[in-house]
Amino acid sequence: MPRPSDESLIAYLDGELEESERAAIAHALERDAELRERSAVLSESAVLLRSAFDEVLHEPLPERLIRAARGESGVVADLAAARQKRWKRVLGDRRFWLGTAAAASLAAFAVGFGIGGGDVGLADAIVAAYAPHSGDQPADSFPDNLAGYYRRYVNMGPNDGTTFDKLPQNFHLPNLKPWGLEFQGARFLMVEGQPAMALMYTTANKALGPVLVVVANSPHADKGTDFYHSGDINVLRWRHHGHAYAIAGTASINYLWNIHNDLAYQFDTI
Amino acid sequence: MSVSVSDQLIAVLPRLRRFARGLTGSAVEADDLVQAACERALSRAHQFQEGTRFDSWMFRIVQTIWIDQLRSRDIRREEAEEEGVNVGTDEPGRRAEARLALQEVRSALAQLPAEQRAALLLVTVDGLSYKEAAEAADVPVGTIMSRLARARTALLAKLEAGGGLRRSAQDAKAE
Repeated sequence: MPRPSDESLIAYLDGELEESERAAIAHALERDAELRERSAVLSESAVLLRSAFDEVLHEPLPERLIRAARGESGVVADLAAARQKRWKRVLGDRRFWLGTAAAASLAAFAVGFGIGGGDVGLADAIVAAYAPHSGDQPADSFPDNLAGYYRRYVNMGPNDGTTFDKLPQNFHLPNLKPWGLEFQGARFLMVEGQPAMALMYTTANKALGPVLVVVANSPHADKGTDFYHSGDINVLRWRHHGHAYAIAGTASINYLWNIHNDLAYQFDTI
Repeated sequence: MSVSVSDQLIAVLPRLRRFARGLTGSAVEADDLVQAACERALSRAHQFQEGTRFDSWMFRIVQTIWIDQLRSRDIRREEAEEEGVNVGTDEPGRRAEARLALQEVRSALAQLPAEQRAALLLVTVDGLSYKEAAEAADVPVGTIMSRLARARTALLAKLEAGGGLRRSAQDAKAE
């Protein structure tokens, strides 16, 4: 009898062969030491593979998955109704934005002086990033400007006089707690002449670092997510249904991409 | 929404997370995947056929979403996370060896083609029969058999090349 193929041997080890085939393999194993050795290492690799993922079974289930299993994550809700509410959910009502436009200009001015160290301020950074002349193409300065602001923001001390703007009650603040990110504060901005918000989230996990989320109105067409690197800062930016979004952080693109997905769900941009 | 579907989902969540972890190589991405699968399952609960295995149905949903993501996303992937993997010198030698062995296994798995990875995770890790795995992967049993054989031999070759098999399974279990 010819030596059994790996396919047959593996099926034998997995208990998937018919009786006659099983007997034939067993007989071959009795006679062939090399086959026994092959069988042993295949079995060992299977044990290793199972061990490599055993720990997952013993991890506590994330709350968001339990909520998702219970249908409480909101994504399975009526999407049509959700879209109708999107404007209010994401950026609040029109009256709020008209009222905050002036405040945004002032805040942008304050940011420029409150954080600045001679460089471009936050307002300049964001405005430059979304400058009308850029059209559908992201401005080249966008990642550097946003990364520069991110660095200044992260390096701010708690006592250096910078204050946050108060969020209006009707603003839908993204919940990033499942990612270990706590909302720290927001600043009003002007982006493309439209009011916007920069939301800073922090985490105790230094490997991930703080994350900055920018939410703005935008007159431009929808655009898929672009990725940028500026030094050690990764930036993701996309536009959807009249809004522009950006995320900046020192975490990996993979990690930020997942936050981006979560944000997109929460903002109903998927 | 069917309450029974939710209950079944919660019961199978640990296995779905393990399956997704193996597919993606990332804890965060895996949980995203499982969450998306839960949402899809709930929105399509009416499509679940009574008398068929719920876990196989969920494995298929997870795999389908994952493959869709692979095809549609243009992610600039960095190295897959190996969270919690730390072979620091503070660890006792045996434990460090075990960690290294398990890390090598995960790395080797991550290098396999997607469909082979899924077959391995369904059969070798989760213990599904070939027939059940075929249902979950929506392919014939013969396809699962051949994918498994290619995956097991490729995994073995990678582990032998990397020295992973020299670290015993017993060491790995010490982990």
